[in-house]
Amino acid sequence: MTKETEPDARVFFVDTRFQRLARRGGGISRDQAISQAQAGIEEAGGGFEEWVDAELNELVDLVKSASTGRAAPDWLEAANFRSRQLRDVGTTMGFELLSFVADSLCDLLDSIADGAECNMESVVCHVDALVLSRQERYRHMRPDQVPDLTKGLRRVVKHVST
Amino acid sequence: MVSPTMNLSGLVILVADPSSYMSMLIHSMLRGFGNSKVLEVRHSSAVLETLTTQKIDILITDARIPPRGGLLLTRAIRRKEDNENRTVPILVMTSDLRESTVKLARDAGANMVIAKPMSPASLYDRLAWIAFNPRQFVDTANYFGPDRRFKIEGYPGGVGRRKGDKAVEIGAEAGPALAQNDIDSLFSAARVGQDS
Repeated sequence: MTKETEPDARVFFVDTRFQRLARRGGGISRDQAISQAQAGIEEAGGGFEEWVDAELNELVDLVKSASTGRAAPDWLEAANFRSRQLRDVGTTMGFELLSFVADSLCDLLDSIADGAECNMESVVCHVDALVLSRQERYRHMRPDQVPDLTKGLRRVVKHVST
Repeated sequence: MVSPTMNLSGLVILVADPSSYMSMLIHSMLRGFGNSKVLEVRHSSAVLETLTTQKIDILITDARIPPRGGLLLTRAIRRKEDNENRTVPILVMTSDLRESTVKLARDAGANMVIAKPMSPASLYDRLAWIAFNPRQFVDTANYFGPDRRFKIEGYPGGVGRRKGDKAVEIGAEAGPALAQNDIDSLFSAARVGQDS
């Protein structure tokens, strides 16, 4: 098809209701909005620890089943979903070490999903680290405060994915 | 991203995320921004169903919303000609920050991509960007969505074309992760120019 015979694109302006209403006066300032949102998160986060425990228990059960060959075929996706949740929510809630370990587990599970060998020891090692990072002593730590753990996990992921 | 005051009261916001806890956090953020009409769904089919039954002002969807993901969902919304929500602003949340993925989201018709995990500030700024930087819509045989052409760089793979836009394949992804600033730059429409 030559350029001359190609149909022209239709280009048009859309002012959506979202844009019209969001630009109205009477809104709240960015600083106030963010401050209120942060307060809302803290208030909503009351059940965070129970939620983390429930997610971790599910993850531990999934990995146990996979280790013994009793897992459902979609266990990898299910484990990845749970670790992504832990990472995303953990970061938003300020649990840095938990998020770091969950992120590392996501990388590991992504590698396995992409064809890397499914080394269950590496997965179990990550889940153990997650359980550890949930404990009172560790839960408010940053990754740089436990360098042996973080380096070890990085090494495991690198080994599996290469 | 400096934005003037934004007013989200009365707007209907649809949040599509498979995680109920994450949805609850997003809901809390939006409430803090002054919005009180948030709908939550866990599946892309529920998004399509909601869009047919009520007017939605903005969709915030996870890129991995089951069963087929937020990018295919975005494409489905944009391509359905008789869908009155066809031009609804779509904000895609993703933890997969490879450039290829971000470009796929843009090419599917997303208005903006936001990196997960996200903070109230990053969500507010992306919503404000959509509100205060309206883009033209483009309708071709292979693309319907916000104008993807940018003057900040020349994109490979056909992006930036107008006539004969190539079809977008949602498929294999590769490459390193982008920072949110890099993602923003991919969406920073800065031109209204001639067709290429």
